[in-house]
Order: sequence, then C-alpha cells, then structure tokens
Amino acid sequence: MNATRKIPVTILTGFLGSGKTTLLNRILREEHGKRIAVIENEFGEVGIDQALVINADEEIFEMSNGCICCTVRGDLIRVLGNLMKRRDKFDYVLVETTGLADPGPVAQTFFMDDEIRAEFELDGIVTLVDAAHIEQQLGRSDESTEQVAFADVLVLNKTDLVDDDALDKIEVRLRDMNRMARVIRSQMADVSVETVLNLAAFDLDQALERRPTFLEPEYPFEWTGVYSLDTGRYELSLAEGPDPAMSLVIVPDQGTDDSALREGAEWCVRRYAEPADDIRPGDEIPVGKHLNLLLDSPGRKSFFLEVDTQASVGLYAQHTAEEFDLQLTNGAPHVNGAVPAEVERTWVAQHEHDDEVGSIAIEAEGDVDPGRLNAWLGELLRERGVDIFRMKGFISLADEARRFVFQGVHMLFDGQPDRPWGDTPRRNQLIFIGRNLDERSIRLGFEACLI
Amino acid sequence: MPDLNGGSPKGVLRPGWSAEVGDYAIAGGWTPRGEALVVGDAAGGVYAFDGKSGATIWAQREAHEGGVLALAMQPNRAAFATAGQDGRVLVWSAADGRVDHAIDVGSGWVENLAWSPDGQRLAASCSREVHAYGADGTEVRRFDTHPSTVSAVAWSSAEELATACYGRVTFFNASTGTVRQRLEWKGSLVSMVLSPDGDIVACGSQDNSVHFWRRSTEQDSMMSGYPGKPSALAFDDTGTLLATGGGEAVTVWSFQGKGPEGTRPGVLELHFGAVTTLAFARGGRRLASGARDGAVVVWSLGRNGQGDPVGIAPVADVVGAVYWRPDGRALAALDAQGGATTWRVG
Repeated sequence: MNATRKIPVTILTGFLGSGKTTLLNRILREEHGKRIAVIENEFGEVGIDQALVINADEEIFEMSNGCICCTVRGDLIRVLGNLMKRRDKFDYVLVETTGLADPGPVAQTFFMDDEIRAEFELDGIVTLVDAAHIEQQLGRSDESTEQVAFADVLVLNKTDLVDDDALDKIEVRLRDMNRMARVIRSQMADVSVETVLNLAAFDLDQALERRPTFLEPEYPFEWTGVYSLDTGRYELSLAEGPDPAMSLVIVPDQGTDDSALREGAEWCVRRYAEPADDIRPGDEIPVGKHLNLLLDSPGRKSFFLEVDTQASVGLYAQHTAEEFDLQLTNGAPHVNGAVPAEVERTWVAQHEHDDEVGSIAIEAEGDVDPGRLNAWLGELLRERGVDIFRMKGFISLADEARRFVFQGVHMLFDGQPDRPWGDTPRRNQLIFIGRNLDERSIRLGFEACLI
Repeated sequence: MPDLNGGSPKGVLRPGWSAEVGDYAIAGGWTPRGEALVVGDAAGGVYAFDGKSGATIWAQREAHEGGVLALAMQPNRAAFATAGQDGRVLVWSAADGRVDHAIDVGSGWVENLAWSPDGQRLAASCSREVHAYGADGTEVRRFDTHPSTVSAVAWSSAEELATACYGRVTFFNASTGTVRQRLEWKGSLVSMVLSPDGDIVACGSQDNSVHFWRRSTEQDSMMSGYPGKPSALAFDDTGTLLATGGGEAVTVWSFQGKGPEGTRPGVLELHFGAVTTLAFARGGRRLASGARDGAVVVWSLGRNGQGDPVGIAPVADVVGAVYWRPDGRALAALDAQGGATTWRVG
C-alpha cells in the first residue's frame, strides 16, 4: 500500500547575503513543470502564487542521550508530517534554512524520523557561497564551514565581485574541504534549475565520467600558459629550477577563456595519468603526450616544438613558469625575446589554508566482505561520527549482483542495493567529509574489508 | 497477517455504511448520541454524515484554507470544533453545519484542540501559544510561556490544562494561568495522553520511547525499545491499560499492581504497517487499532494488557484515525484517500 515514489527534498543553505532568496525565486519562477512546496525559516521574501510556501520556526530538538547526531528539526517533522497528507498537491520539497543554520539537524531529520524517511528522501544539499565574503566567513564561523562541508552542490555566487585569481583560490579551498560537491559559478544566483534540483540523477558515477578530477585532491599541474603560435620551429627553454625534472603536457587547440582552460585541464588530467615519456634537452617535444623533461644538467636547457599550422597551444606544466624561468622563443632569429603567453593561469595553491574540514575519497577495485564492512563502519561511526559530516558512495559487496549505495550524516547511515553491476567493472567508491579525519586509518580500515 | 484482499470485515466487525470526503481524512468524531459522524479533510473541508445511514447531512468544502489540522468533539452536545492551517478555529453545530464561533487564533497553524470535560472551555494551540476560549468563543486565558511549538494539549479536569512541547509537560490552572506542575524531560514529546483520573501523563517521544510520570509522586519512567515513534497513545476508562503504537505492534502496558515497571507489556501483533491510531471503547477493554497497512483491528484485552484480535477489516488506504461511537456499538475509520468507513460491532 502506498508504494509510490518518495518525494525528493532539496535543502538550500547559505549565509545571509549569499543569494538564497534570489535562487529560490528563480527556481519558483522558472517553467520546470514541478510543483514545489517551499519550507522557509525567514519570513516574507518569497511570494509566488503557484508555490505552496510554509513558514516554520526553526526548532532544533536534541534527544535525551545528548548525542549530536540525534539532533533534528522538530518544526520540519511537523510540517512534513502534514505535507505528506497532501502529496498529490506537489512533487518536490525545498527547505530553505536560515543563514546561520547548521545543516546537520536538517539533514538528519530525513534519516532519524521513520515516517519522514518513509515518504521523503534527501535529494541534495545546495549551499550558496558569497564569493566576496566566504574567505572571512570560513575563518569566523563553524556554520559556514559546515554549510560548505555538507553540500552536494556549491554555488559560488557573486563571481562578478571577485577577480578570476581570487575565484580560483576560493574554489580550490572549497574543493579541498568538500570533494564530493559540484562547484558552479554564478552571478545573481543565475544557475539552471536542473543543476540544483533532482540531484539523485547526479550520482558519483556520472560525476566521474564528466569530471575525471572528481576524486583528485588537486590538479597534478600548477601552471598553464596559452600561446598563439605561427607556423615554425619554437624553442622551449628552462633555467635551473627546484627539481631535476618536470612533467609537461602540451594541449593542441587550446582556447583562452576559463571554460576552455578547465576543459584543457580535465583532458590533461587523463594524460597525466598515463606514464610519462622522458625527454632530454635537445629533443623534439610531441604534442598531447605526458612528458617528463629531464632537467638535471647544469645551465639553461632547450627543447624544440615544431608547429605545422598556425595554432593556439596550451602548456600544462608541473611547476610555474617562474620557477624554471620557462620561455618559449621562435627558433628563427628574433628581436624581442620570448613569445608572450596569451593567458597564464595557476591551478593549485596546495594547502594554502589549513582547514580542519576536509574530504577523503577512496576508490578501490574488488569485493568487500559485508561482515567486516559492517563492523568497521559501525566502529568508525560510533567513534568518529560526530566529526564525519557526510559520507556517500557505492560498494561492491561479495555475492551481491547489485551495487550497494549508501549515504550518511554523522552517525546515521542509510544504504540499499540499486542497479545490477552487469558488465561494468565491480569497484568501490567512498567519500567522507568531516573534521580532522585521519585519512590513513580510514583508508587502511576500508582496505581491510576487501576480500 | 490480515487478509486484505478478501475485503470483508471479520469477527465482531459487521459492515456498516461508508462515505467519502474530498481529500485525506484528517480527523473526526461521533456526536455524543451517535446521530452524526463529522470529518475534516486535508483540503479544508468539513463534513457531517448521518450516524445510521451515512447520508451527507451537510458539507462545507472550504472551511479552512490550506486544510484541517484538528477536530474535537464537544463532550456534551452535538457540536465540535475544527482548526486549520488558516490560523482559525471554527465551532460548529453538528446538526446543521452552522458555525457558531469563528476564532482567529494566530498567523500560524492551529494544530491541537481539546474541550474541557464539562464542555465549557476549548483549548487551541498555535505555534508556542495555547489559548483557552469560553463557551461564547471569547478568549479567557492565554498560555504563552512554551519554549517550543506545543505538540499536544489535554484537560486533566475542567479547571486544569496540560500542554506538551519539547522537553516538558506543563499543567496550568486554566482560570488563572498559573503553572501548577511542570514535568521535565529532555526529549521531543510528540503525543500525550492523561489517565482518566489525571494522575498519569504519558508522552510519546521522537526518540522512539514512551515517557510517563505519576503526578502525585513525580516519579517518572521511560519505556523504550520501540522501532518507531509512538504517536498513537490511548488509556482505557479505568486508567489500567495504556496502549501505545510506535511500530507494527500495539504495545499495552498495565498499571495494575506495581506495574508497568518491571512487567512485560502485552504485544499485539497483526498489523504489518506502523500503527497510526488507537482508541479504547468506553466501559470495557476493547481496543481498536489502525495502521499504515490499511487495516483496522479490534482487540479484546485482559487486565494484564495481553489480548487477542476479535475483529479485522480493511479500508482503502493508510488508516488515519479510528473512533468508537460513544455507545461502543459502532466504529469508524478515516483513511488517506478520504474514506470514512463504519462497522457495527457485535
């Protein structure tokens, strides 16, 4: 009886001024064919005719055992309990939290309460980030950090107020804290509804296909220079630098705008995953290959690049151009020295911020022993559940034809088998986001569960 | 396991009439002499059906904008009150659907209603406030000291009102508004029931337990181990048996002797969906239960809380509420599809 699909719920968080209300209004105005019930905690800013808008006073209830993980939003339980009696009137729920809300209790509500869990499912947590203020906010407030850590989607908003370099730095920092989330840049919260609703469609698998760096802590290169080159022979020269070798990939037909650079970066990540060819000073440089430039001889070293047709190429280098005084010159007699780069960009400010909050991603092939997994996860959540904000993933359980998918909030855990593995290779992928997580022990713990 | 496909009631339940309202049937009740069954629905409609035939006596389809949240029968005459998401309370005459009083309570949802045993006062809760209204619909007292939204209200006597919210049950002198007793416990109390003599107050808690206090001694106990939150609670007439939901089983605690501490409860198993509603018939130990499985079961209980099913019947969908006709000879169930189904009880 009543075996209808669960109603998806999106939680919208973000500090005051991050653009939550703008996004909410945008979602409600857009023609997407969904009937959305909105539960708000801040009065009076949304007034859209066709939407069912309910105000609820944020009431956080702790249980008698005093466990942080058993903290729920009492008002939501009541409101959702009533909404489930009118489920023919809407097919989506959006919960907007107050700016200062800790997303934990909101998310836990969908795991803790049996009736709510039977009727609703947490589809995703969307956190709006004010690009101009997030750096200060992260420094000052736990709530802001937790809102970032809990997110499935981070909307980096108000990008028009911050320059590109700063945005890149912010994005690296956010990704460092939460590797699970998709980061979307926007101005005026101008993001399409599909990117924030129905995220169930966005599972880890797809994320991996689209963005192979999903599980990468950072890009394996630090610097990109894009050069517009005429036909001819070019000399790439490097002075002595910090390392005896440097990895390099040259991308043909590299565009100069940000999205083209990202695309190039994603492509390079895959090249970087391939074994590198050693290239000695004086050698020709092939395009589109993972190279290891040998730089251990003294003095300035030169490599050569042949350009057949006029092209824009991207150099993705392990170190910045500065570190080796990298220069590209036209091998023919030249007047003004090096060819200037059209665009330069640095990728990684490695651990510039020592945020306590971070993510651990585990990927492994092979089957897992269910008993061992249960014991390990049980103990991990019991001991570290307070510090584990979210976890998500899929597991290849021994003797199970289907993938086992799970997600959790603090100590609360929910998992079930979903689609059959079929011909796809069986593997495991887990992501933990939390505070002061011990990556090594979590990794070893999981590996011990493998058969 | 109930045979729901068989479709016909069994045991003491004999087919009666059935009727439909416009949406999920939220709450209802029989008038004191059983002339009518009234029902409020999730679309805000209020309906009255003839107690014998089930014919519609009257219907008001848009009484509460946003939906009905609560309904309470006046204990002495054919009148009742409804409350809804529109922040209003309406006091109706059951015979003709006349609204005798329309009360604006507040801007939030009015979620709970309770008449005092003498029918002279009506309590309504809206967010953190509880209001008491007199027979003429005017507010006689306001109780606004709750730290969180009030989840239940009940009268322990004509003069004393009990309220439950997160972390506490409070007993107020209804006339003066002073606090007579406050029972505290750190947990989210989702339901409350008082024993007929007013000494025992039991609350279902969000953390899947039932907490109860004996007011005379302030001694309290917790019954835990429920698989779900016990939102359905019922005391029998004598205050001996406390029936609780909180899972697919009905758990019955007996207060006879030194119990229920140290005793085993009766565990009544037949439903295969979570129990949503419980009601004892007056003057006996017959208990009716309804559940998410769409079944209504009547149980016959002993003083120790053990018991057996004596009747079972299916309805169209999740059972939202069951109500015994005051003479105990008929039972009504409301369901999620807006059905009101009645049975004669042999």
